[in-house]
Amino acid sequence: MCVLCSGFIVQEHWSDARTRAGEDASTVTIGGAESRERRRDRWMRMKLANVILQIYGLKLDDWNGSKYILRDVKGMTEIVQDWGELWPAAQKLARRPVDPLDPDFLARLKASGGHN
Amino acid sequence: MPPMRVSGKIPVTVLSGFLGSGKTSLLERALRQGALRNTAVIVNEFGKIGLDHHLLSRVEERTVLLGGGCVCCSTREDLVAALLELLHRAAHDGRPDRVVIETTGLADPSPIWFTVLRHPVLQHHFDVGRIIVTVDAVNGLLHLERHAESVKQAAVADLIVLTKTDIASEASIRELESRLRAINPAAEMMRSRPDDPDAAGIFAAERPYRSPSRPAPEPPVPGHASPHDGGTRSLSVRFDRPLDWNAFGLWLSMLLHARGVDILRVKGHLDLGGDGPVLLNGVQHIIHPPEHLDEWPNDERCSKIVFIMKGIEPQQVMDSLSAFQHVLGAEPERLASAEYAI
Repeated sequence: MCVLCSGFIVQEHWSDARTRAGEDASTVTIGGAESRERRRDRWMRMKLANVILQIYGLKLDDWNGSKYILRDVKGMTEIVQDWGELWPAAQKLARRPVDPLDPDFLARLKASGGHN
Repeated sequence: MPPMRVSGKIPVTVLSGFLGSGKTSLLERALRQGALRNTAVIVNEFGKIGLDHHLLSRVEERTVLLGGGCVCCSTREDLVAALLELLHRAAHDGRPDRVVIETTGLADPSPIWFTVLRHPVLQHHFDVGRIIVTVDAVNGLLHLERHAESVKQAAVADLIVLTKTDIASEASIRELESRLRAINPAAEMMRSRPDDPDAAGIFAAERPYRSPSRPAPEPPVPGHASPHDGGTRSLSVRFDRPLDWNAFGLWLSMLLHARGVDILRVKGHLDLGGDGPVLLNGVQHIIHPPEHLDEWPNDERCSKIVFIMKGIEPQQVMDSLSAFQHVLGAEPERLASAEYAI
């Protein structure tokens, strides 16, 4: 349960899994250093996602540390919970297939040098 | 690769195989041997198992497609009911050590994974174990040539058990093994005989079962088209430096969004810079929650990932990983055919 938006999260997306030793999905995070760590992690993830999303003319922002907001240049938005929801939403806003094997996309990613 | 086992959960082994490939005989033989006494078995057809096993239950396959979902992301309602019933009984009679689900000859194992890993109750009590696929040594080649389902079953397997090896010639068995290796170089393969004294070991094995007398044959060069491989291709990749999990998760989630149906299997161990590897295991769109090991099982300390794909060329994936290397923080290297074992 998210206390901020009262959203009930039944399923954690696999990409959100904590991969450090001794942590699992039941690890509870309340304030302190772990909370800062979690926020920094989230910020890093968002930064990486934006390297990819900018190629499709999209931008991801944090929303209250609990969800993300995906926008296109015209201001259309989609709220996404995790990377499982991100790509279908990106495809909807970009109005074209989002595919990491697409040669045109890869050429533009290489040209950007992995920066945004 | 050790089975994905989160402590305290009951592993669910999937037993699949083409019609008439000897699934039931293998299971029946295994159940007669004492080691599987506390194993719950879920089958589609009661009559076929000529055995009064006290934990046997029968289901009618009922698959519920989720809105707009693909076939792999669907829930097997029959299994939900059977597994919940099992939990209910376990409260009185004690927990089973494991569950074996025998699928029909044409059933797809991915909905079973989806059901076990995503159901709000079942995910806390059960975990997916290995996918065991039986292949008939006499008719296996014919099935692989004629039926796409048979190729897919071999492609998603963790362990391929060749059955009826006593009535097939050594040459034809070798040809079949070589064909199966080309389809799925990451799977273990073993031969079973009707008098196999350790059939139960196949299901009871905590670690992947490897027949001591028969080492796995050398895989042929994968990635090359064989006329009857059903368009399956495989790729094994190693990375030169520790990977960034966030970046890898981003890339893989994007790949599965676009091509999940065609990524039949993805397995690997990732070096994320910690003390031990993180295990990766997926079937189509469904990725098992990554599991952290405390230490590396051997000296080879690097990320290694195997993809078994349909209709995707290995070079396409390599090109994508290369273009993503600045994001991933590591450069990919394609491995030779002999280095598929995970």
